[in-house]
Amino acid sequence: MKKIFIISIVGFSLITSCRKEEINKIDGPSLEDLNGAFSVINGLESSKDSVDFAAGETVFFTAEIAKTTPWKLRVVGMTSGAEKIMTGTSKIIDASQTLWNGSTTNLPLFKTEICKVELTFPGLPDTLITDVKVINPKVNEGFLITDFETGFNPGWTSFIQSGADMDFQIKSDVTAPEGNAYYNMAGTVDWDWLVGLINFKATAYSGATVLPLTSNPNNLYFNVMVYGEVGLTNSLVLFQFQEDEDANGTFDSATEDLYSHQITIDWVGWKLVSIKYSDIPCLVNGSPATANGNGQHNSDKINQINMLHLANPVSGFAKSKLDYIIFTENGPLNP
Amino acid sequence: MRFTIYITLLLSSFSAFAQEGKKVQFVGGARSLLSHSDFTSKTDVEDTVTARKMTGGYALLDLGFKINPNATTEILGMVRIKNDFGGFWGSGVNFDVRQLYVKGVAANVLRYQIGNIDYKLSPYTFYNHNADMLVQSTASLKIKEDIVNYETFYKNNTWRQQGAAADFALKFPKVIQEMKFNGFITRMNPTNMTNILERFYGGGNITIVQSKYFTIGGNHVSVFDLKQTAASNDAYRNSVSTGTFVSGMEFDKIKFGIDGETGFSNSFSSQDNEGKLSDYFVNAKLNVEAKKLGIKFNLGYMDNGADFRSAGAQSKRVDYNQVNNYYDRYTNAQIVRPLSMYDLYNDPTLYTSSINTGIMAYNPSINNALPYGTATFNRKGIYSTLSYEDKKKIVAVSATYYKLSEIRGQGTLNLKSFDYLKGNLVFDVSNLLKWKLKQIINVGVAYQNTQRESDLLFEQISLKSTTMNVGVELEIVKDLSILGNAFMFSSVGNELLPVRNDKGEIINFNPYFVDGQELNISAGLKFNFSKDVYLACLYEQNKNNFNTLNPYNIKQLMLFYVMKF
Repeated sequence: MKKIFIISIVGFSLITSCRKEEINKIDGPSLEDLNGAFSVINGLESSKDSVDFAAGETVFFTAEIAKTTPWKLRVVGMTSGAEKIMTGTSKIIDASQTLWNGSTTNLPLFKTEICKVELTFPGLPDTLITDVKVINPKVNEGFLITDFETGFNPGWTSFIQSGADMDFQIKSDVTAPEGNAYYNMAGTVDWDWLVGLINFKATAYSGATVLPLTSNPNNLYFNVMVYGEVGLTNSLVLFQFQEDEDANGTFDSATEDLYSHQITIDWVGWKLVSIKYSDIPCLVNGSPATANGNGQHNSDKINQINMLHLANPVSGFAKSKLDYIIFTENGPLNP
Repeated sequence: MRFTIYITLLLSSFSAFAQEGKKVQFVGGARSLLSHSDFTSKTDVEDTVTARKMTGGYALLDLGFKINPNATTEILGMVRIKNDFGGFWGSGVNFDVRQLYVKGVAANVLRYQIGNIDYKLSPYTFYNHNADMLVQSTASLKIKEDIVNYETFYKNNTWRQQGAAADFALKFPKVIQEMKFNGFITRMNPTNMTNILERFYGGGNITIVQSKYFTIGGNHVSVFDLKQTAASNDAYRNSVSTGTFVSGMEFDKIKFGIDGETGFSNSFSSQDNEGKLSDYFVNAKLNVEAKKLGIKFNLGYMDNGADFRSAGAQSKRVDYNQVNNYYDRYTNAQIVRPLSMYDLYNDPTLYTSSINTGIMAYNPSINNALPYGTATFNRKGIYSTLSYEDKKKIVAVSATYYKLSEIRGQGTLNLKSFDYLKGNLVFDVSNLLKWKLKQIINVGVAYQNTQRESDLLFEQISLKSTTMNVGVELEIVKDLSILGNAFMFSSVGNELLPVRNDKGEIINFNPYFVDGQELNISAGLKFNFSKDVYLACLYEQNKNNFNTLNPYNIKQLMLFYVMKF
């Protein structure tokens, strides 16, 4: 009994003496970093003077400040006005936080241009500035329906109502979110919801009767950039996807699926709208309905996409712009 | 050398339901609460938005069917029928399954339980520490705490889980007396088929009783994700292995002993090797008892590593991320009313019964020294308890003092120090005066002081908190008692509360300033129909000025009827 008791005390003493010292080790960020005086140790620098995003190159930005501080890095295209914004909280700003592959945060997309890079710290007056030249902008992978840069494809068809102030045409100016061109759709039609439409036929591309898309609708995303006009919220854009399920080269609305994605344009400016193909419903007069075909999203059997500009006939003048209609795989477009 | 080994059951309770001779029994409880409250707050402009007076309550019945199909099997199914006052004939009535288990003895050797299990192992592996109610409850406060514990299944520091448990024991004629084996497995969460894997919590222990003077044990628990149950391959694991020991010597007048627990933990995600945490702990104490004097003394040392993680022992009862269900907002601006001690004693829905693998939020004013109980990580120091109980059971007093510090600083190399003193005095006037009617006075105090010194102002911390309760239970005629409580909680000072990411890493610190007090005065009558059935009527007033701009006051009249059968 006595021996066991003594062994217990000795054993306990040995174990308690084992603790290694926690020398110079702290949990969490240093309070001195968080609360000390702000100063710039190393200014903002770009890892490259110029970058070719189309060739897969990237660029990053570095800086060092005296204390852990929230920061905001803003890259602005001097021609396009495109913005890439990165934020963080740290004292060292490096590639792990600022690696840029040419993508944009706010439309439009970057072009071949000089970009101004600003590093700011919320609540502090300091702004660090550098610049970087984009030799070629980022190329997005996917099947491009159109970016309207090469005009109206002769394989497409269109219908435009004979209303008042009708303006359905491709326009080129600096406001385009991608490239220089976009499609303008505007007019007043007081007897019908339809203002105008374009049919993007599969045959207009490779000559095949269906678009060259993956058969997995869960991995396919439809993307389009849409512009909302100031003071107008009556525009609707309806995209219809016709599936030629029996592969006979034509679409039969009575026996084949027609899926529709309706976009109510209630914002101002350019906005990227993306949706997974398998999430696109079948609509009849704007309400979900049962598809007339096999009821499955056969993304590899789309033979035509209809882009309709709609507006309530009593709502008056309606206007919207569209650009960069593209299918992507594995996720929505990261422009 | 030949041993004869006897396999025995750990407990003999299983013979109980066979002895009853009843195939089916009804067990359970019933409770009814009627409440009327009056809420006022001090604001520059009169609060015309918050409903000042509120009347409500409920009646509930927990009806359990205990079925004994044979002498070694017991099945319990318990349903709850709850009706909020104001709802009737279906409206406002809820039906829930409250308990469901099967337990029994297999081959007269192995005891098992499947379904709901109430389980604990050791304080550092699987243990339900009560880290937020620091003073002993008595009188009206005890009525409320009992309801919280009943609703949350907190009893004897066990956690209510769903799973299976088994135990058995071996007895030996020589060298050692007995070996006890316990094991359990519970399901923590199901998979969602995409990024959340099926998660389990399991473990067990072996206890070897060498003699009445020496016992050792080994414990192991593990939280683990089952791979291939979802698309994600990022499996989490938290394993804790510990050893326990109890050793002692006994003489005519005095008793010595030493006991403790030591072990280590490993926590990691399979796809985050850099985030792996490993550490160990030691906790042991020396016990001395002067048997004839009724005095007990112990002196202990604890060293819980900064990276020691034990999900089953560091999960908190209170979920401080919850919002109040009762007067959750007040003033014309409808500001949120934070959780107070009043709410902790009145609202069982603020508590959780699940094991949490993250680091749960805590209130530094309530318990900054040991927010996760004895198993709190990043603490080392000494502690000591002195207690006295006279033979006539007139006075029982105990005091425990912790002198602790951090092991690793948070945001600085300077360490916080913690002084924590808690004491309790029970004075039984009826035993002193040899009255048959029970007259109990209870005083409980808990005081905490956190300090961190630094030359830099923003690193300095000073936080002091006091919790105190004085309660009386005076039986005026047989089974009818007057209850009275004065509960006070105050806190003043500052802290820097760590902000953690999903992995539990500290990413920032939020400054915390406090200077307030909560005072709860309650009184009432309690009539015991029997040991398990009583009716109580309480009136209380709760003043809270932790929000210095908008202090508030709650007056409440409550009528309880509580029955267990």
